Amino acid sequence: MAQFSRTWWGKNFIAAIEKIVDSGRLSRGRSYARGNKVKSFTIKGGTVEAKVRGSVNPYFGVYKEPLYSTKIQFEKISRSKWNAVIAVIASKASLISRLLLNEIPDNIEDSFNLLDVNLLPRSGKDFKTSCSCPDYSNPCKHIAGVHYLIAAELDNDPFLLFELRGISREDLKAELAKSPLGQALSAEMSAQEQDLVPVESYYTKTESMPVPKDTSLKSFWQGEKRLPQTIESPPEVSVSAIAVKKQGDFPSFWHRDNSFIEAMEDLYKRVKTKNKSLL
Amino acid sequence: MIILHGTWIPETDEEFVQQGAFYLWAESDTKSKHLRKKGHMHPQQLVNAELTELLTKELGTKVPSKSSATLENFISPQYFWLPTAKGEPLPSLELSRYLETNLPDKFEWDCWEIDCYMSVSYQNNQFVPNVISFLNDLHFIALYNLADVQLGSDLLFWYHYSQSFKQVVLRDQYIPALRYREVQAAPNGKTPKAKKSTKVAVKSSAKSSAKSTSKSTKTTKAKASAFEIYPGWEIIGDRYESQIQSYIEYMPLACTAGCSDPGDTPEFISPEALLRHFSEYTVNQLVGQTPSPQSYLKKVEGSIIENCLDADVNYPLKSAAKLEEYQQWKVWRDRISRSQTGTSFYLCFQLEAPPDPDAPWQILFQAAPKSEPSLRISLAEFWKAKGKKLTTFRKQLGDDFEQNLLINLGYAARIYDKIWDGLETDEPIGITVDLNTAFDFLKEAAWILEDAGYKVIIPAWWTPKGRQKAKIKLRAKGKSSSGGDDKSKSYFSFDRLVEYEFSLAIGQEAVTEQEWNQLVNAKAPLVQFRGQWMELDQDKMKEMLEFWKQQKDENPDLSLMDFMKLAAGSDEDELEVEFDRDDVLSTLMGQLGDKSALAIAPDPTTLQGTLREYQQRGLSWLSYLEQLGLNGCLADDMGLGKTVQVIARLAQEREMAEEEGIKNLPPTLLIAPTSVLGNWQREVQKFAPQITTAVHHGNSRAKDSKTFKAMCRDYDVVITSFPLARKDTKLFSSVNWHRVVLDEAQNIKNPKAAQTKAILKLNANHRLALTGTPVENRLMDLWSIFNFLNPGYLGTQTQFRKQFEMPIQKDNKQTTSTMLKRLVEPFILRRVKTDKSIIKDLPDKVEQKLYCNLTKEQASLYEAVLKDVEEKLNGPDAADGIQRKGLILATLTKLKQICNHPRQFLQDESEFTPERSHKLSRLMEMIDEVVEERESALVFTQFREIGDALEKYLRHTRHINTYYLHGGTNRKKREKMIEEFQDPDGEPSIFVLSLKAAGVGITLTKANHVFHFDRWWNPAVEDQATDRAFRIGQTKNVFVHKFVAMGTLEERIDEMIEDKKKLAGAIVGSDESWLTELDNDAFRELIALNKSAILE
Repeated sequence: MAQFSRTWWGKNFIAAIEKIVDSGRLSRGRSYARGNKVKSFTIKGGTVEAKVRGSVNPYFGVYKEPLYSTKIQFEKISRSKWNAVIAVIASKASLISRLLLNEIPDNIEDSFNLLDVNLLPRSGKDFKTSCSCPDYSNPCKHIAGVHYLIAAELDNDPFLLFELRGISREDLKAELAKSPLGQALSAEMSAQEQDLVPVESYYTKTESMPVPKDTSLKSFWQGEKRLPQTIESPPEVSVSAIAVKKQGDFPSFWHRDNSFIEAMEDLYKRVKTKNKSLL
Repeated sequence: MIILHGTWIPETDEEFVQQGAFYLWAESDTKSKHLRKKGHMHPQQLVNAELTELLTKELGTKVPSKSSATLENFISPQYFWLPTAKGEPLPSLELSRYLETNLPDKFEWDCWEIDCYMSVSYQNNQFVPNVISFLNDLHFIALYNLADVQLGSDLLFWYHYSQSFKQVVLRDQYIPALRYREVQAAPNGKTPKAKKSTKVAVKSSAKSSAKSTSKSTKTTKAKASAFEIYPGWEIIGDRYESQIQSYIEYMPLACTAGCSDPGDTPEFISPEALLRHFSEYTVNQLVGQTPSPQSYLKKVEGSIIENCLDADVNYPLKSAAKLEEYQQWKVWRDRISRSQTGTSFYLCFQLEAPPDPDAPWQILFQAAPKSEPSLRISLAEFWKAKGKKLTTFRKQLGDDFEQNLLINLGYAARIYDKIWDGLETDEPIGITVDLNTAFDFLKEAAWILEDAGYKVIIPAWWTPKGRQKAKIKLRAKGKSSSGGDDKSKSYFSFDRLVEYEFSLAIGQEAVTEQEWNQLVNAKAPLVQFRGQWMELDQDKMKEMLEFWKQQKDENPDLSLMDFMKLAAGSDEDELEVEFDRDDVLSTLMGQLGDKSALAIAPDPTTLQGTLREYQQRGLSWLSYLEQLGLNGCLADDMGLGKTVQVIARLAQEREMAEEEGIKNLPPTLLIAPTSVLGNWQREVQKFAPQITTAVHHGNSRAKDSKTFKAMCRDYDVVITSFPLARKDTKLFSSVNWHRVVLDEAQNIKNPKAAQTKAILKLNANHRLALTGTPVENRLMDLWSIFNFLNPGYLGTQTQFRKQFEMPIQKDNKQTTSTMLKRLVEPFILRRVKTDKSIIKDLPDKVEQKLYCNLTKEQASLYEAVLKDVEEKLNGPDAADGIQRKGLILATLTKLKQICNHPRQFLQDESEFTPERSHKLSRLMEMIDEVVEERESALVFTQFREIGDALEKYLRHTRHINTYYLHGGTNRKKREKMIEEFQDPDGEPSIFVLSLKAAGVGITLTKANHVFHFDRWWNPAVEDQATDRAFRIGQTKNVFVHKFVAMGTLEERIDEMIEDKKKLAGAIVGSDESWLTELDNDAFRELIALNKSAILE
């Protein structure tokens, strides 16, 4: 079964929630999140709002599938503290470099702790929740379900965590830009927002062209330039799968727990050895 | 003749996925008899059944096994836009050389239907396109003339490209890929927008069940119909991109002229798209059909790899989850292919070993400005810099250096995560690592970083040059022969043996077994041994130890030849040969390895003439080798004077024998092509008149053993032809020759031929092979020559084929090629005209006479003319006055014609074959060598008829690219021909020119050989013609070859020209009119025939 989160910070987020919330409820929340019960889900500022489908429960007098509004509001870190934290972050190349790569450095809390704040929620104080369901307990399974979705979302967009704690992307960029190191990160953040690039055809599209006007018999049959006398055979490389090794293992699209690079190395090797008669 | 053509034909329909296939077709010199009535069929193709027959019988194409398909199933008509004139497709340039037609200057385009074979292979229960290995096989077949086919340039192009393209697969230069396609929005749907991360749309199913059909996903579905994601494989890397760019320039347009479904107007496919389509299609098919075991599929379940492996273009992915995966993939892919082009510096990593083996290692971060890459600035230095220095740095590294540096360090850390350790600061300078980490860095991370565009600086001891290796040393020395009565010669004699012993060594230093064992048992992969770092390959070292233990107890001896084989044939990395410094063996190997180290032999005093320096060196090599009892091959380029070096050796050995009081050396047997027998005799006479020669040829030759042996006793050199070496094999093998010399030794390349067998049987103290063709590249020729020189040295033919020919010619194995080169090098002396040392030694223009005999036919025609003239001069109504002048001039012309070729004189359109004229035969042999070397030549003649015949013969029979310029060529054509001939990218060509028409004004400097097929009285006219090639712009030495028919008026003309050159100011007109002033006796003498110069 796929996990809700593969990144350490997503996992830590869940761990933090799990520490605060009773485990029985969380497990119901998990199945809620998996079962497509969350109908809409928006994040704005430090507030997450969701519409969650409830279940029919005659005991509570619910005879028609209800739709509950669920809200989670994270405690904001004050702007002055943020500025101080960002100044600390911007002084460490390792933090900046990792954030540049869309990853949260695993020691980032150290920088927050210096100023007596924390990035990941630690206790119930760090967020407020509400749900329109009749369940009196908090968190209810609907809230728990939304927590899991937030964790999944964090995997892809670690900066969401900053946003949840009260600093907008624009402000973060502006603050970062104050140090040379931070500038690097702020520039890259803008570069990451990419558009989809649709293709016209599966393989490079082969297009026709009119016959070049002055085509001679020679250029038609033999080409303008002579082929080299020998076929260059480049020196052998001792390292396999160089291309996929350039971005590290476990790329973001790889949701499995085993190594992507190993899987590719396996495949490359098999392609070479199983097709000797074709090569 | 069959020319094979073929190209990649993509389907050009509007489908999203365009299929494609490689189609082969055959062009024939005859019209097919099986043309279908329907359709616009190319008349000179091999139609279905004919093509099948060619494929199965000639090319060995097999019906894919285990399938019920037949070859015919893969033959289908395709369409090609081809140059067409008068309603017929024009032959390809390759075929036109075999046809007697001339290609028109103007043509149009028409579309022809041609039956094509689609090349496939059957594996894993399916048909797979097979292009790379199919073309490799065809190329091999054509190269070795295993079938009577030739590859068209279009097919040759694809062979080349597919071989280069193979590297994409061998080097893992492709990645799993997703392709995003926008499709027409569904009626109720909206076009999907790029997702912004702040607003997360409904995506509750994101990580779980993508294929959920529950109602709540209705919106998702509507959106999903607006895009599709197609998994597959993508080729990546700069190497591939630059390959495409360079091959576009090589591609003949014929490759782009095919299609499955032609339109009404002529159309080609854009070359770049064609190459990309082929490459992408091939990689996708290849990877897609590779079977994966279940265990593997489990490991990639649900992932992009699984999607890509069973990509079915009919079922693209449509879920939101996959869309997200696509976006993640896209960022990843762009980063992989991102190079450091944007920055103005290179980020460098320098690994530094500690002086103390237990101390940590360092990887230092540096930046090198792209404008000055050798200037590496360490980051430590950069951060410290202030004021002016900092300004300078910024200027070199760019204004936004810190930002770029950080990003690049971050990327590098993604590749090699130890780099993170160095980034716990705002001023990173490097990292320290332990020994094992350093080793891993060298083994792997360094390569990947380098490939990703970073510069990695590794210690010198890790580079291939500086690397210390564990190896076994073979210490060898010459063993003194048991007799001990040698005349203290510093040379080896035949029967000398090489004594050797093995020892263990690291780099240059010998080590004891105990030290070796310590290293074998060391824990670390890198050790410091006697102050030097080195890598240990402990498994290999164990093997070496075993080998050494086995060998050290034996006391081996080897013959010199076996020793050389052992020394050259082993892997240099594992076995190194070492000699006692003062040992003769050491000198010997040194001199054979580096021929420039040979002492230069002085010219033999009995030699009439002066050797050039490289010829002296050649002489010294010949005698050195013979003294060692080894046989070599002198393979200097044509024109460098192999003949004179051999003659010098003959003279030298006689002088040496005389010094030692030896009276009579046994004779040398020289076997040469018939066309040069006379030339050999003439050259020996010229350079060493004291050496007596006998030509064993023709009907009057010695036929019984007694006469033959008597001749051998009387002459120093017996000259004969290859055919006679076979015919009179009994006579030749009854003599113990001092030496057998083979001129044009490639004549024995067929080991099964009786001629070769007869020659191999000859008894001789020494053997010498001469050849002007680059034997190293024609491996079977090379083997044949060695089989004559040093039988067994390169193994049997079968062994040789397996060990060398196949790996080198078919698999392009560099290491095998290098090993073969090492093996044969000591025995081959080959100097080429482009060697700097040779150029320095040669005048810019090298003139050479080529003496040819007359054939019997020529001689009888010649005699008949002489008789006729005699009658007319002496007869009762003897001509005089104008009549006499006319008679003399006509006679001169007739005799010259006879010397060229009987047909020219007879003017009867009889066969223009080399068998009827030694002159023509010799010219063809030499032109073959010129073309083989990819050089061009000019051939001058004063006769239009012979020009016509030569040009036609070269083009149609020898299939050489030719041009022909005579009095009747118009200016436009002339200019066009000259331009084409001079084109540096053009084919090597032969330009036939009329002496008079081409005397002035034109530049043909692409030629570096000039042949004068017949002679003119005035050397100035010949020189002027020669200067077409020898002009400004000529960068090579020009070789001028002048033919002289021996014993005829041509030889006398030649003598006159020589005399005239000596007697400045002699009155010789530019035409022949002055000859008419000769009196009868003088004229008779001029045209007389010396019968000894006739050769059958």
